[in-house]
Amino acid sequence: MRILTSLFGAERGARAPSVARALAIVAALAALGAGAGRAAETGLGAAGGIGHALASASVQAGFFAGGWVVALDGREGWRGPAARGASALVVAAQAARVSPAGALAYLLVPLVLARDAGPWRSRLERMGWRPPDASRAILLGAATGTFLGLHLMIAASLTLGYAVGVPGASRYLAALAYDVGANALTAEWLFRGALFSALWRRWSFWPAAAVSTACALVRYLLDPALPQAVEAMAGATFYLSLLGLACCALRAWSGSLLPGYVATVAFFAAYRMLLV
Amino acid sequence: MSAGPLALVALIAAAIVAGAGEGGSSLRHLYLLPALWAALAHGAFGGALVGLLAGFLQAPSIFSMIERLGLSRPVVDGLVSLTIPLAMGLTVGRLVDQSRARGAQLRALLEIQRSLAGETTFGARLAQVASLTRRALGVDRVGLHLDAGDGAPLTASAPDGSGAPDSELSGSATPCRRLTLPLDAGQGPMGTLVIERSGDLGVSTRGAAQALALHVALAIENARLTESQRRSAQELEDRVTRATQRLREIDQAKSEFLSVVSHELRTPLTALQGFSELLLDRDVPPARARRYLRHVQTESQRLGRIVADLLDLSRIESGRGLSLRREPFDLRELVECNVEVFACQHALHRFDLSVAEPLPPLCADRDAVDRIVKNLLSNAVKYSPRGGRVLVQARPAADRPGLVELAVEDDGIGIPAEALPRIFEPYVRLAHPETATAPGLGLGLSLVRALAHAHGGLVEVESLPGKGSRFRVLLPA
Repeated sequence: MRILTSLFGAERGARAPSVARALAIVAALAALGAGAGRAAETGLGAAGGIGHALASASVQAGFFAGGWVVALDGREGWRGPAARGASALVVAAQAARVSPAGALAYLLVPLVLARDAGPWRSRLERMGWRPPDASRAILLGAATGTFLGLHLMIAASLTLGYAVGVPGASRYLAALAYDVGANALTAEWLFRGALFSALWRRWSFWPAAAVSTACALVRYLLDPALPQAVEAMAGATFYLSLLGLACCALRAWSGSLLPGYVATVAFFAAYRMLLV
Repeated sequence: MSAGPLALVALIAAAIVAGAGEGGSSLRHLYLLPALWAALAHGAFGGALVGLLAGFLQAPSIFSMIERLGLSRPVVDGLVSLTIPLAMGLTVGRLVDQSRARGAQLRALLEIQRSLAGETTFGARLAQVASLTRRALGVDRVGLHLDAGDGAPLTASAPDGSGAPDSELSGSATPCRRLTLPLDAGQGPMGTLVIERSGDLGVSTRGAAQALALHVALAIENARLTESQRRSAQELEDRVTRATQRLREIDQAKSEFLSVVSHELRTPLTALQGFSELLLDRDVPPARARRYLRHVQTESQRLGRIVADLLDLSRIESGRGLSLRREPFDLRELVECNVEVFACQHALHRFDLSVAEPLPPLCADRDAVDRIVKNLLSNAVKYSPRGGRVLVQARPAADRPGLVELAVEDDGIGIPAEALPRIFEPYVRLAHPETATAPGLGLGLSLVRALAHAHGGLVEVESLPGKGSRFRVLLPA
């Protein structure tokens, strides 16, 4: 047993520096993009929306690229797909700024990802880039996300007084497109696909799920778009923790990212109906 | 998942809403009932699911309390009651699961012990053990590798023929865990138990696997001991059967021997009786009387030889050994004399004699050597056809320095290979249609061997059925 651990340890030890270095590069570039976007947001006045979009897209692109780095163990091949995905995110963010219909450009991101994943299919299967073992897993994912979303709507409207409704079809669909092409996609790609899958290979389910869910939770709690009220933070912690754990369970059970992705999209589809 | 606990949860929620709609109602503790029910019926999964559902149903009222009252005592109380159904459902469910798993393991152990005590081959039983272990632990694959002591190790796997998972699962979405445990019944490792599962290999599974490995090792050890005992018993039974068979053969041989002895004794006795009555009752001319007396002498000599053989046999069987009077004598003269006598008595046989020059004098019991020669010549004549050739050789043994070789060869019926080991045993007479009526007690060769051994020599035989036999007696010079 000790010999086996030692061997695997040696393998990890040899691989870790390249992954860490690549992640550092991704983090630096994402921070640079976000910083530039922030600076542009404050410095460009009326045209500051460009900067806001750039900052938002940079963060999402960072998650996207980070997922590629972990998926490919820091090999050179991650740069191309990461760059194309990041470009698609930036373009979509700018298009969404111009017009709500432009948010449909977010739908390009999954297509870009699907195209880039082709050559790496066998490698990406390890992180769940494959159809689920059972198609009912997708239904279960949809049911889980819908249940949590509806519960959120009921709890928020009945107890916290948030209004429920669709502010406008175009705005709602734009938000939904953002969730489909950026928010839910990058969350599943990085936190469940890359992080949880990698951790689950080393640890058992619960520690791996806890760490990846905690990372996803921090990402949402630090999101400036989340209302900063205490009850909103508590609610986000409650629901996003459950959603994260449910997505990890779906990923582990079905072997695929798709059910968790569907659950996340369904949850955010309900969340977007809350007029916060 | 039974609908009962879920319906009960809905009923309790409806009661709370219809009653006060207040999360602080003491009715909320009723949520424990369906969680407990589900946990007992469906284990941790059922308990957790119903407990989670109860928590969700309580959550809106607790959230409103948080907004209204802040972090007050009723809120803390509400938060605790929010989590208790889930915690209890999980805990009780886990205990139920563990209890069921333990029961399943005990049942599996019984089945394993039963299967190892089966009558099939050990490999087949081992495969069944692997299959039972896989079922008991709920893992994907089980491999058993046993050190056979000599040669290749004995292996069994379940599912049957499943290979190493590394190549298959390295790119899989679900990691494969493998646990290798020694099979040790307290006398050092006898092999390994390898279990593999896609996904988690939890603490309870690992503990169960360790316990099972110990029990499997003990069961295998017991099976091996039982197998060994069974083999020993079988060997013992075979030996007893062989010994019984041998005793039966000896008994039958003795019966035959008695019959033959009676016959052999009666023939000369009848002759003695007949000739003596003739001499006593009738007036017989002197020439004829002399002839009768010669017959009486011949038959009495024959009777004497039979009695002497029997006495010698009795002495050999009682372990007293033969008393020898060793003295130097000329083997050539003894052999020539016997060949002459046999040639006269059996005119239809051709006797060839070959004596080496010079032949060293033999220091032995002359009478004993004389009986050896007579017995061998008698057998050669008895078991060869009329007109057959009998070759007698006397010479120093070329391959055994210091020994003198006396060989008698015939071209008779020969001896089957399977009968060769038995021909020197007493009472043995080989059944053959051509020699069934030949006189004899079946003692000749056993006496030859006994006499040769008594001199410190030995007897060898070569024979081909249908071609003839060659007996070779080696005696110290």
